[in-house]
Amino acid sequence: MSKQKQRIFGAVAVAGLWLVLAAWLWFGPRQDISQAERRKLEQFPAATVQTLLDGRFMTKFETFTQDQFPLRDGFRQLKAGFSYGVLRKLDNNGIYLADGSAGKLEYPLNSNSVSSAVEKFQKIYDRYLKDGGGKIVFSVVPDKSYYLASGNGYPAMDYEAMFSAFRALPWAQYVELTDLLTGESYYKTDTHWRQETLLPVAERIGEALGVQVEDSYSPAALERPFYGVYYGQAALPLEPDTIWLLESDTLSGCTVTNYETGEHSSVYDRTKLDSRDLYDVFLSGPAAVLTVENPAAGNHRELIVFRDSFGSSLVPLLLPGYSKVTLLDIRYLPTDLLPQMVEFGDQDVLFLYSTLVLNQSAMLK
Amino acid sequence: MLFSGLTFLYCFLPAVLAAYFLAPKHWKNAVLLVSSLIFYAWGEPRYVLLMVLTILGFYFCGIAISRGKTLRVRQFWLWVSLALGLGALGIFKYADFFIGSLNAVTALPLPLLRLTLPIGISFYTFQCISYTVDVYRQRALPQKNLITFGAYVCLFPQLIAGPIVRYTDVARELESRTHSWEDFALGLRRFLFGLGKKVLLANQFGELTEAFRNSGEKSVLFVWLYALAYALQIYFDFSGYSDMAIGLGRILGFRFPENFNYPYLSSSVTEFWRRWHMTLGGWFRDYVYIPLGGNRVSKLRWVFNILVVWMLTGLWHGASWNFVVWGLLFALLLLLEKMVPGLKRLPRGAAQLYVLLVVVLSFVVFNAQSLQQAGQDLAGMLGLGGLPGTTVEALYALRSNAVLLVVGMVGATPWPKQWAQKIGERVPLLEALAMGALLLLCTAYLVDGSFNPFLYFRF
Repeated sequence: MSKQKQRIFGAVAVAGLWLVLAAWLWFGPRQDISQAERRKLEQFPAATVQTLLDGRFMTKFETFTQDQFPLRDGFRQLKAGFSYGVLRKLDNNGIYLADGSAGKLEYPLNSNSVSSAVEKFQKIYDRYLKDGGGKIVFSVVPDKSYYLASGNGYPAMDYEAMFSAFRALPWAQYVELTDLLTGESYYKTDTHWRQETLLPVAERIGEALGVQVEDSYSPAALERPFYGVYYGQAALPLEPDTIWLLESDTLSGCTVTNYETGEHSSVYDRTKLDSRDLYDVFLSGPAAVLTVENPAAGNHRELIVFRDSFGSSLVPLLLPGYSKVTLLDIRYLPTDLLPQMVEFGDQDVLFLYSTLVLNQSAMLK
Repeated sequence: MLFSGLTFLYCFLPAVLAAYFLAPKHWKNAVLLVSSLIFYAWGEPRYVLLMVLTILGFYFCGIAISRGKTLRVRQFWLWVSLALGLGALGIFKYADFFIGSLNAVTALPLPLLRLTLPIGISFYTFQCISYTVDVYRQRALPQKNLITFGAYVCLFPQLIAGPIVRYTDVARELESRTHSWEDFALGLRRFLFGLGKKVLLANQFGELTEAFRNSGEKSVLFVWLYALAYALQIYFDFSGYSDMAIGLGRILGFRFPENFNYPYLSSSVTEFWRRWHMTLGGWFRDYVYIPLGGNRVSKLRWVFNILVVWMLTGLWHGASWNFVVWGLLFALLLLLEKMVPGLKRLPRGAAQLYVLLVVVLSFVVFNAQSLQQAGQDLAGMLGLGGLPGTTVEALYALRSNAVLLVVGMVGATPWPKQWAQKIGERVPLLEALAMGALLLLCTAYLVDGSFNPFLYFRF
């Protein structure tokens, strides 16, 4: 075969590959969700005169082709592998690997966001907590990069400046957590901390709140592997984590009530074992208002927790000290509406927020 | 629609190529016209009407010029066509710039029009003007078939980001062109090569420039990184697009002019502009500089001609003062090179370094949102902005992009092409494997990423 014919043959083969992918995109099965990215995938958009004229159809169609492309996860892994392995980029989509764990570049410190969060919490205190009789504790959960970034050559935000801003709140006792955690305290594929490492954290916070939180726990592993949020974003072949639950008789007797739905569940909600995010097994996942009642408590003390998702796995470990805990997530609930759901009084109050949320506090309503 | 988008690559292009090659010969231009209008409407549905009016206007002006019995009549229709093209360009692209500048000088409160810039208007307007001017000069016969003329004006491979294809470049091919498997193979290779430049290089450099712009911690090192990354981004972005256009043209039976010839190897600014956006430089030379008298005039008039051409070149790129300054900067450098013979005697390496430095600095002005920002960036590069030498972020950006920068710098030389040609000549199947890998890799980046702008769309 002449070289010219070989070249043509090669080009036709490439065009054939191209056509196979195109045909697969056109006629292949549609996916509803991306398990790796934990999101719904765009479906074929409806075409109307209006959406065609204003370009919305085209925009959605572009997303549709991206979302429904055949072998999507494989292509994402190819890109990540090329980016890391060949171009030697140090992160992929802002996710990096260090010490066998995936972390997110959270840099630099957003001072405006921190100031805004301080103002938000100050308003909450002024409106609802000032006249209360309980203890108020504030704690910032360092994200994984606090332990992984600097030591591995990745830029890290000025954590000390952030902690200082919340330490300075005059009405709350600040509880330091950084010395109780390490990079190993977090899931390797996820942003969250591992509950089985949090007993010292619970004890220190309990001490600050003036309650005994010790209990007799037995760890139980979930059978389903846990592919955390960074697993999908990194698109790299990472080993999944295992979620361990710290179980006890006290926790088994607790009842969780979702204020919005009125549904009752357990502290560890095994109906969430099929959830896209297995971390939802802790207190049933994201919710604006939850109450947890502990009939085994030897007192009538109550706790209100202003929290983000890190609170879901920690709060169960505080339950032995309280008969009732109310969890408020003001990412989903405007603070103006709080009196409709909570009667503020003599409860203890815990503010527990991760650096990730405080650095992007616009999400707090 | 972007060439480097999955919609184009896997929906539009296969469908159009199938329709095109299945269509009988005399229907092929109609297929091109309809598909090009769909291509344009995908990004600018409301401006398809402007495109159609432009086609109709220049079509009738071309015929009127050719039928004009007197010079005055011919001139009249030429001016009508110029008014049509430049009028639309003036209204949609430059009106707010002039109104804003006038308001700034006179403190008048004239309201801005705030019109969206039609994609590719500078490219297709210049192509249309070249058509009527060449018909007027009797260098081209008027195109009497409206569909054929429409296909020329909005031919999708080069509609929105060039190269600027003059009517005379493709007049014969518009009437009759041949297609061959060899052209298909070469066109496909060129297209994929351009796609790789755009997706694997330009977009990655774009992310670095974005990181700089979004950074709250600028440093001297970061500004230099940004400047270098932007110079590479704009080269791979624009030359990649040109490669894709030329490749697609070849598949469809057209031979589009080359637009880039390794400009960063130039040893003078004059040479740089013979290698960078060659079709634009040629257009200004033939339709502005030479009609003004070129260099066959008094020295003062020649300087004036140079300044006018380069001010217009700057303005062509954007309606903003930094583009004017950018154009005039090159005018001054070109004049300097012509007036200071000593510059030509620089050793080649030193001369190339001088050109690279000038070009990198010039693109900092080019990419600034305002003259003030350009001044800040340039001051930062010279260590005059009070910036620290480096920051953690800048060092990270350097470490994370070191290989990419090396690949980009090597990629801007003829070496990769020479290596590929050698391999392709010895083992053609390896070339096919490389093309397949390139297609899959680009697809992978497009499936994963959302950062995919084309810099020259705004021009």
